[in-house]
Amino acid sequence: MGRRSIIGFATLATLAAAWYLATVPLALISPGRFPSPLDVWVSLRQVAIRGYANGVLHDHVVHSLKLVALGFAVAAMTGVPLGLLMGWSRRAEALINPVFLVIRPIPPLAWIPLTILWLGLGDAAKVLVIWFAAFVPATINSFTGVRSIDPAVVEASRMLGTPLRRFIPEVLVPAAGPMIFTGLRLSLQASWTTLVAAELVGALYGLGRVLNVAQQDIYPGMIFVGMACVAVLGWATTRVIAEVERRAMPWVQIAGS
Amino acid sequence: MAAITFEAVGKTFRRAGADVPAVERVDLAVAEKEFVAVVGPSGCGKTTCLRLAAGFEFPTAGFVKVDGRPVTAPGPDRAVVFQQFALFPWKTVFDNIALGPRNKGVPKAERQERVTRLIALMNLQGYEGAFPHELSGGMQQRVAIARAYVLDPDVLLMDEPFGALDAQTRVMMQEELVRLARINPRTVLFITHSVEEAVYLADRVAVMTRRPGRIKEIVDVGSVRLADKWGTYERIEDVMDLESFVHLRTRIWRSLREEKSVDGQ
Amino acid sequence: MGRSATKPLTLGETLGYGAIGLIVFFGVWSLLSFSGAVPRQFLPAPHELAARFFDLLTTPFAGATLPRHLASSFFRFGCGFLLGAAVGIPLGLLMGWSRTLDEIVTPVFDALRFIAPIAWVPFAALWFGTGLGGPILIIFAGAFPPCLINAYRGARFVGRPLVEAAQMLGTGNLRIIVEVLLPASTASIIAGLRVSAGLGWQSLIGAELIVASAGIGFMMVQAQLNISTATVMSGMVAIGLVGLLIDVALRSLEAEVRRRGLA
Repeated sequence: MGRRSIIGFATLATLAAAWYLATVPLALISPGRFPSPLDVWVSLRQVAIRGYANGVLHDHVVHSLKLVALGFAVAAMTGVPLGLLMGWSRRAEALINPVFLVIRPIPPLAWIPLTILWLGLGDAAKVLVIWFAAFVPATINSFTGVRSIDPAVVEASRMLGTPLRRFIPEVLVPAAGPMIFTGLRLSLQASWTTLVAAELVGALYGLGRVLNVAQQDIYPGMIFVGMACVAVLGWATTRVIAEVERRAMPWVQIAGS
Repeated sequence: MAAITFEAVGKTFRRAGADVPAVERVDLAVAEKEFVAVVGPSGCGKTTCLRLAAGFEFPTAGFVKVDGRPVTAPGPDRAVVFQQFALFPWKTVFDNIALGPRNKGVPKAERQERVTRLIALMNLQGYEGAFPHELSGGMQQRVAIARAYVLDPDVLLMDEPFGALDAQTRVMMQEELVRLARINPRTVLFITHSVEEAVYLADRVAVMTRRPGRIKEIVDVGSVRLADKWGTYERIEDVMDLESFVHLRTRIWRSLREEKSVDGQ
Repeated sequence: MGRSATKPLTLGETLGYGAIGLIVFFGVWSLLSFSGAVPRQFLPAPHELAARFFDLLTTPFAGATLPRHLASSFFRFGCGFLLGAAVGIPLGLLMGWSRTLDEIVTPVFDALRFIAPIAWVPFAALWFGTGLGGPILIIFAGAFPPCLINAYRGARFVGRPLVEAAQMLGTGNLRIIVEVLLPASTASIIAGLRVSAGLGWQSLIGAELIVASAGIGFMMVQAQLNISTATVMSGMVAIGLVGLLIDVALRSLEAEVRRRGLA
C-alpha cells in the first residue's frame, strides 16, 4: 500500500474512533443530535429487515433506482441527439437557443412544486423533474462535443466521400463521445440530487422518503443510514457510467482526474 | 490521371468585418502525373491553393479545375494528406484506411485485399488493429498516406505532410515518398516550407510571393534530376550533396528571401 | 468554440431563427392554455404569468412580496456561500501546498463527496429547526466542494512551478503562500466560485422547498398548496433571474481579473 493509502486509512480510522468516543463513553454529542455507531447499526438492521417508512431498505433502494434510471434514460435519449443537432446545424442552434436560454437558469429543484401541481406526489412527477434536471447537461455537453470536433477530421471524412448516414454514427458521434459522456455523468448526478430532493418534499417510497420520515420521527440513526445509502448509490452509479465510458471508447486515454 | 489548373485564381476571406486577400491571380498548371511542389513565405496562401483544389474552399475569382472541370466539392478523386494527419482516433489503422473504399462501395473481399496491400506497401504490418494514438507521428502519417493512396485518386494533395514530424522521421518519409512515386506515379500538388524537400521530391517547384500570393516563378527541377541522374542515389544526403542540387536549392532560397525581406520579417 | 459544419449565420438570420423559436414556444404554450387542453389552473397563459409576476412585486403572498422573499433567500445564500468560500479556498490552497495535508483531508472529502447537499436537510432540520443555521449548512454543503477543489487544483498545478521558483529565490513560506500561490490560483478559484455559487443557489432553493419558513422556496410551496400555478411559475422565473444575475456578476469578475492580468 502506498503512503497515500496508509495516511488515508489512518485518518478515517481516527475519525471513526473519535466518532465512537464522542457519542458513547464521553457522550459529548447527545443521541438526539447525532447517532453513535451503534445507533446506526440498529437503524440499518431495522430498515433492512423489518422495514421503515412503508418498506424494507431493498424496496426503497430499488424504487429510487428505477426512477433515476427512467428519468436519466429519457433525458439522455432526448438531450444527446438534440445537443448533437444544435452543435452540427447553426440553424437548429439559432432556432432552439433562445428557448434554451429561458429554461436553463431555472434550477431543476425549482421545478418540483410545479410538477407536484401537475402530476401529484406519485412517480410520474418525480420522473418529470428528473428529466428536466438531467436534460440540460446532456444537451449542453453534446453540443460542445460537436463544436470541439477537429475540423480537419470532418474535412478528411468529406474528402473520403462519406455519406451523411455513415458520417453521423462513424464520425460525428465518436468524435463528440468524450464530451457526451461528461454530459451523461453530470446528468446522472443531477438525476440523483433531484430525486432525493423530490422524495424529501413528498413521496410514498424511496430513500428520500426514508430521510423525511426519519427526520420527523427525530431518528438520527436512520437519517445517517439514509444519507449513507444516497452516497453509496451515487458513487456506484457513477462507477457504472465510468465503466460504460471506458468500454465504449477504447481509444481514449483517460488522464488522471 | 488528371491535371490541375489554376486560372487567374483569387481568394479573399472575410475576417472580423474586413476583406483579407489570401491569393491573387494565381496561374498554375500541374500536368498529369507531374509532381509540383509549392513553396513560399508564411501566410502566402499556399495552403489556400491546396484547399481550393481540394474543394474545401471556393475561389472568389478565376477557376480551379481538375481534369478540365471546375472543383465543386471535396471527394476521393482528390485525396488529401493533412499536416496534422486527421486520422479518426476511434478507428483502428485498418478501419481508417478502409473507410474510403467503403464509401465507394467496394465489396468486402476486394476492400480487404486493397487495404492489406497498402498496409504492406507503407510498412505498417502488424499494426492493423492499433489505434492512432498508439502510433508514432511518422507511422500515423504513413496511415494517412495509405488512406489517400488506397483511393487510387486522380490527384494527390499534400499539405505540408511532414511538417509535424521530427527531423529524422521527416527525412525517412521523404525517401519513402520518392520510392512510392517511382512505383506509382500520380499527379501531386505538394505544399511545403522546406526548399530542400521541394527540390528533392518535385518535378517543378513553384515559388509564391508573400501575401496576397501570386506565383513568382516556376523552377524546373525534373530535367536537372534526369540529367544528373539523382535517381541513382539511394540516400537523400547523397543527393543533397550534389552540386546541381545545391545550385537549385540556393536559387530558390534567394527567390524566397526577397519575398521575406520585402515583408520586413 | 469550434466551427460547425454548416456555414455561420448572419446576425439577421440568427435573430430571425431565434424569434421563430420563441414564437413557436410561446405560441404552443398559449395554445395549450387557451384551448383548455391543459386546465387553466395548471397552465396559465404567458401573459397571465407576466401579470401575476408583476403583481407579486408589490402584492404580498405567503407573508411578503416577491422581492422580500427573494431578499430573504439571497441573504441566506450569501451567508452560506461566503462561508463555503472562506473555508474552502484557504483549505484548498493549503492542500495544494502541503502534500501531507492533502493526504489527510482527501479521503475524508472523497467519502463525503457523494452525499448530495440536499441530503443534509434532515440533519439540518434536526439541529437548527427553522433557524438560519439549517439553510446555511445546506448551502455550505453545495458551495464548499467546488471552492475547495478549484483552489486545490490552482495551487497544485498552476502554483507548483512558481512556488519552486520562489523557493529557489529564498522566499519565506508565508510570503510564498500569499504572494505566489494565491495569485497563481486566482483563475481557478474564480471558476470555482462560479460553480459554487450555482450549486449553492440551487441547494438553497431545495432546502427552502423542504424545510420552509421564509424565502422564495417557501413562497412556492405555499403557492403549490394553494394551487396558484401562476405564483409558482413566477417564483421559478424569479429564481432563474437571480441565478442568472449571480452568474453574470461572477463572470464579469472573472473577466475583470483576467483583464488586469491577475490570472
